[in-house]
Amino acid sequence: MDDRSTDSDPVTAGESSILDTLGEDVIRIVSPVSLCMLLVVLLVSSVSSTNDLSSSISSLFLSSTTTPTSFSSLNLLLLGSDSTWEEIKSALVTALSFVVVVTLLTFLLVLLFYFRCTNFLRIYMGISSLFVLSFLGGFISLLLISHFKIPIDPFTFAILLFNLSVVGVFAVFMPKFPISMNQGYLVAIGVLTAYWFTMLPEWTTWALLIAMSLYDLAAVLLPIGPLRLLVELAMSRNEEIPALVYEARPVDPQPGDRVRVWRERTDVRIEATENSTNSATVQTVQETRLAVSEEITAPLIEAFPQTGDRHLGTEEEEDGIGLGSSGAIKLGLGDFIFYSVLVGRAAMYDYMTVYACYLAIMAGLGVTLLLLAVYRKALPALPVSIMLGVVFYLLTRVLLEVFVVQCSSNLLMF
Amino acid sequence: MTVAAGVGYVLIALGPALSLFASVIAKKPFLILTLLSSTLFWLISLIILAGAWRAFLPVKSTELWPYSILILTSVGFQEGIRIGFWRLFKKMEDMLNAFADRVSKPRLFLTDKMQLALAGGLGHGLAHAVFFCLSLLTPAFGPATFYVDKCPSIPFFLISAIIALGFVIIHTFSMVIAFNGYTEGKRKDQIFVPFAHLIAALITLINLVPGGCNIGLPLLCIMAGTTLYYNWQLVWRRLTEHQTTRSSD
Repeated sequence: MDDRSTDSDPVTAGESSILDTLGEDVIRIVSPVSLCMLLVVLLVSSVSSTNDLSSSISSLFLSSTTTPTSFSSLNLLLLGSDSTWEEIKSALVTALSFVVVVTLLTFLLVLLFYFRCTNFLRIYMGISSLFVLSFLGGFISLLLISHFKIPIDPFTFAILLFNLSVVGVFAVFMPKFPISMNQGYLVAIGVLTAYWFTMLPEWTTWALLIAMSLYDLAAVLLPIGPLRLLVELAMSRNEEIPALVYEARPVDPQPGDRVRVWRERTDVRIEATENSTNSATVQTVQETRLAVSEEITAPLIEAFPQTGDRHLGTEEEEDGIGLGSSGAIKLGLGDFIFYSVLVGRAAMYDYMTVYACYLAIMAGLGVTLLLLAVYRKALPALPVSIMLGVVFYLLTRVLLEVFVVQCSSNLLMF
Repeated sequence: MTVAAGVGYVLIALGPALSLFASVIAKKPFLILTLLSSTLFWLISLIILAGAWRAFLPVKSTELWPYSILILTSVGFQEGIRIGFWRLFKKMEDMLNAFADRVSKPRLFLTDKMQLALAGGLGHGLAHAVFFCLSLLTPAFGPATFYVDKCPSIPFFLISAIIALGFVIIHTFSMVIAFNGYTEGKRKDQIFVPFAHLIAALITLINLVPGGCNIGLPLLCIMAGTTLYYNWQLVWRRLTEHQTTRSSD
């Protein structure tokens, strides 16, 4: 195995080229995103959740809920109708209401952060991750167990679930936990939430994705946007926002690593929307979910204000490109979740769309990171990727599939 | 034909690609990024082709000429894109060299450039295998198999896996050959790549004839082997030349 000091070129043994370490940061963020997407695709294809399943789940929850909200009745309406136009209309209404709820909750988060209720937010975050890991994790594990007929008794299952959830909460909640466990549990939370979202009806999912990316764009770039306010507040106080953020730090810290505080936007909103769509769940769970989403938001900024004064050509600037530096990129969990929802929904159609959407999302992520390096301010991570993903999904479904199937079935390839 | 068969087909198509990835590309993060972007490029070129041909599909006739036009236009378009890809590669090389000067590290070595070309080619090959073979392999994980009318002796999945394997090799190494040819300005290398691609694509036309796949598949593998051999000779020559020029400094 080549290490950094020896090159494969026999002439230049002892010298290392820039190609050895360039782009490490990006890969350290691309790998967990890809892993999350892969797990969601595997879950979706093995435990195929059709619309029948989502309708049965929703009806199950509807019957047990104490106070059905307007969303739940809307959901019932959604699942009852069959015609496409009805579906589109209800999808748009759901997506819009989601965005509204998320906006309100994000403003609430800004308010709480302004009044320095940080502890409250952190505890809320812990409780919401506990809910996600235990309830969602339990539900999906039950699905898997029943599908693959794994022999396990309820007591073992309960003990395992309890242990894993509690450790997960500590892993994301406590600052001094080993980073690999933190990263692993964050990916797990992303996978569970994304899988839950793929159970939505098809039009609702797409409408939701597009609405969330538009909201993302507005909330981060507009002067009155809640996320922008949050970022500016955090920057002025030089504090960390309490959020579920994936930190792409290397597992073994190398000597001379500086922890650059690049905070990438997460989709707080996304989480909130998730909550709204699961309106069938009990109110408290809804709030928790909303809290989780709020937590997820973390704008894409450079935390050290003094770096803005540096000029091009300094060490700081090079690191700013995000290439070959030893800093840590942070990506919000909401981004993970929404990317995986898109790919999971593509997996429900065909694998060709999965590959096309995966490449589109990676391209979008790359573009976002590039823009980040150029503009050096809070940027939304959702819009570019989701828009590219949706475009590629449509193009693949309409154009590519016919072409490829035509060629392959005649065994013509190029 | 069960999960084992499905996984087997995947490995037939992607085995060499995966080993190339694990041994060369996974070690350098930038190469992984190059691979992803070249896969995206190939996908975009395929989508453009599909868009251009959408109006004429599905081709109902069993004659040769519509398919040959399809092949010719597709290959021509992709080879044209390769020149564009090379221009982008040159720009990236300049940017990387400028960056290397800024951080006072050595500029790109010859092996670096070749590795970049290899990653680019592997991206193309991977895209081909994924979209032409893997995306159609989903039924292979189930309980049955499928035979095409024109080729009743080999299951469809196996044929597409072997063709994908051949094309992975051809795409990967023709990128290295092409980049070397454009850099050095050697006509022979520049002509070889489109030529090889075209011949390989035309070989698959043989599959249209009933029973043709028995001839087409071995020919394709021979073509892949030729590309591999040509690439080997080229790289060997360049590396020894490079070594002698450096040791004579």
